[in-house]
Amino acid sequence: MQQRNFVVTVILVLSVTFVSAQDKFFTKNGRISFVSKGNIETITANHKSVTCVLDSKTGVIQFSVLMRGFEFRKALMQEHFNENYVESDKYPRSEFRGQIVNNSAVDYSKDGVYEVKVKGKLTIHGVTREIENDGKITIKGGKPHAASTLVISLSDYKINIPGIHRDNINNTVTITIDCPMEPLKS
Amino acid sequence: MSRKKIIIGAIALVIVVVAIYAWSEFTRTVRPLTDVEPDFTTDAVALIAEFEANETEADKKYHNKIIVVNGMVKSVDELENTFSIALGDTNNMSSVRCVLDSNLVSAAAGIRRGQVIAIKGAITGFKKDDTGLLGSDVELNRCVIE
Repeated sequence: MQQRNFVVTVILVLSVTFVSAQDKFFTKNGRISFVSKGNIETITANHKSVTCVLDSKTGVIQFSVLMRGFEFRKALMQEHFNENYVESDKYPRSEFRGQIVNNSAVDYSKDGVYEVKVKGKLTIHGVTREIENDGKITIKGGKPHAASTLVISLSDYKINIPGIHRDNINNTVTITIDCPMEPLKS
Repeated sequence: MSRKKIIIGAIALVIVVVAIYAWSEFTRTVRPLTDVEPDFTTDAVALIAEFEANETEADKKYHNKIIVVNGMVKSVDELENTFSIALGDTNNMSSVRCVLDSNLVSAAAGIRRGQVIAIKGAITGFKKDDTGLLGSDVELNRCVIE
């Protein structure tokens, strides 16, 4: 009898582990790009190593990036970005930790495009702020693809633009997130 | 030639030199690493261990450096013609993750899991895993396969 109980317990534990592993999705190759439209020129940068983890059961979602990984077309822009604006040495990582508020609206087992609302804490340049934003979860073949566009103010994150560059760099930056995810196998 | 003319000529020359320098700096693009000499050559497992043992010291050592990493390919991921290659121990979740230079992706075509290769790249930092699910990564970008 005792042996039977043990076997049942082991099967139950393994089943729970298996189910919870299927609930989680991730990528380490997500994309983030940003655009700042200044008076003189438009500044754009891309990041191709965004880590994103999504728990489809709870709707908890997390993104993180190393700031030095943003690639610019012009070398000087990249240097100014890292050294003068976001101070990548001091604040090497930016992240978002939050939740899909209407997670129950997403059927992770059914292909489709689901409009979602995400709420959580965005940390850039060592400053953490509560944000709420719209996004999209696209399910295809059992895999979610998270996408969103958000607009932030550099001043909200204490990113100062020196007077000489003020005409060229807009205080408002548009950030686009694009993360196709895979099931997390544990 | 009068002294006044010499001074005006010298000032004009300085203005031209400064303008040329400023323009070349303004338009300077990020150069490919193909012909850049690396600052360090190391092994993927050793590099991960170095960051895991003391992130602050490793950050200081590899800050803004170009590095050649030798290691076993754990995975090759392709997304919209961007290739990301993970190097390291296949029994360990942590990796050295290398995003290939977007102009040199053809080199990734024959790369397979289990192959031992050398990749040169610009180190962008260490992403410590705080979820306990994914493993930590040393990240490199602008990578070229040696």
